[in-house]
Amino acid sequence: MNDLMALPLSYLRSLGFIGQLILILAKIAVVFVVTLLHVAYATYWERKVIAHMQLRLGPREVGPYGLFQPFADGIKLFFKEDIIPATSDKPIFYLAPVIFFVSALTSLAVLPFFDGFVVADINIGLLFLLAMSSLGAYGIVMSGWSSGSKYSFLGGLRSASQVISYEIAMGLSLVGVMIMSGSLNLTEIVRSQHAYPTGAFIIPQVLGFFVFMMAMFAETNRLPFDLPEAESELVAGYFTEYSGFRFAMFFLGEYTGMLIMSSTATICFLGGWTLPGFVTNALPFLNVVPGIVWFLMKVYFFMFFYYWIRATLPRYRYDQLMAIGWKLLIPIALANIVITGTLKIMGWL
Amino acid sequence: MKNSLLTTVFFSEILKGLALTFKTLFVRPVTRRYPLVKPVVAPGFRGLHALAKDDDGKMKCVGCGLCGAYCPSQCIHIYTEEGEDNKKIVERYEIDILRCIFCGFCVEACPFGAISLSEHYEYSNYSREPFYMTKEKLLDNWDKYFPGEKGARYYREFWRPMSEDFRGHEGQAMFSRIPGTIKAGTKAGGKE
Repeated sequence: MNDLMALPLSYLRSLGFIGQLILILAKIAVVFVVTLLHVAYATYWERKVIAHMQLRLGPREVGPYGLFQPFADGIKLFFKEDIIPATSDKPIFYLAPVIFFVSALTSLAVLPFFDGFVVADINIGLLFLLAMSSLGAYGIVMSGWSSGSKYSFLGGLRSASQVISYEIAMGLSLVGVMIMSGSLNLTEIVRSQHAYPTGAFIIPQVLGFFVFMMAMFAETNRLPFDLPEAESELVAGYFTEYSGFRFAMFFLGEYTGMLIMSSTATICFLGGWTLPGFVTNALPFLNVVPGIVWFLMKVYFFMFFYYWIRATLPRYRYDQLMAIGWKLLIPIALANIVITGTLKIMGWL
Repeated sequence: MKNSLLTTVFFSEILKGLALTFKTLFVRPVTRRYPLVKPVVAPGFRGLHALAKDDDGKMKCVGCGLCGAYCPSQCIHIYTEEGEDNKKIVERYEIDILRCIFCGFCVEACPFGAISLSEHYEYSNYSREPFYMTKEKLLDNWDKYFPGEKGARYYREFWRPMSEDFRGHEGQAMFSRIPGTIKAGTKAGGKE
């Protein structure tokens, strides 16, 4: 596939600025469409997996095995009445879902899906991801504030405190990866993992991986940390007052966020699109498989883990949430940094 | 289990829960896909009412009103008249299905097995009117849901009235149409 693409790509590059622009726009279009399709089917698979874990069948009526269910949902949401609460703060109410959705989609720009395929290969990719995930929290807080509803307000407040607590843990958990790879560029992180004996940073960075997994669930407001949108307490939390397409933007943003967090975990801890060197040495025919396959398989595993956890665990209490964030994850992440840094200085890593 | 340090550190309880949900993923779901796959109705199911007919196609009901008296939700309304030869005629026999709780007491109360509950349960509708059962509709239900031998079998197996097996002592006043009634002069049955 890479050889096939090489000729038109080099031709486009030779065209200079216009060619570069076309290339980037094409890449953006591909990433955008593929991601939104993934998001659509992420909802389908979530319903299916959780249904079967609860001895139910899940969607089955629209199309064969209910496969067209995401499109039916999408069409329904497009044509639903768009209700704006009278007490809402209109400009902020309009802006909040856009911020949430855009910040989720912007993160896609820096993700290397396979070798050489990344929309913006910037040097601070990891920092950019963290920045975008915290920018999404602004959308949540603004929607909670502007809706003029107590449920939304509480959801927004909870989200703000949760994101602040867990962002620290998430950032600290990734410091170990930064120390080991010596770069913030995501492509470089994957390459350095491939060069590392274990082929993935999950083995030396198991503490960081653990903290990142917990923080990942909290950052995307998923169970067991879905306090901002706790159905049983807050109706739907911060997006209680949203309907129609504005609701769909929150929904898409949440699932895109899940995909991005899964991709981040894959890139930082599981070696991205590469397989560990000892596996490809033992089974050389695996080299033929394009890297995107391994990347997607790892991402799907994390997505499945999201569903699996949701089907298993109840929601944490608010004080438990804060205790886990501040008393468990942050100390572990700090200890991880100290250990990793010490080993790095000693030259053992 | 005692919450020891090891179980806390390694999340053993959460892992157990995850194992359970993962196992359940491969268990056959219990969902019945109802409108597509109809469930098998158990014999003796208490569905829509029907007024039984005898072999000549005449209504078995004599209008005694015991079903209406027994009915806990009081949804059976019977209106009788005096016909020729001082015979009692059941003018109207009406059941308000929307009030019925399908307890089946009317069937148990009837000395003649004249009312029955069919296996039919899919009769949802958009207005209330179709749920008000008149005598004609109820007799119609008998032809629809108890065709041929089925009605007789149901009578035999599920709603044979107590009176069928009842033996009174000699001289006791009883409904003349109860089949088991002892004619004068025969030996009295029943319990010793």
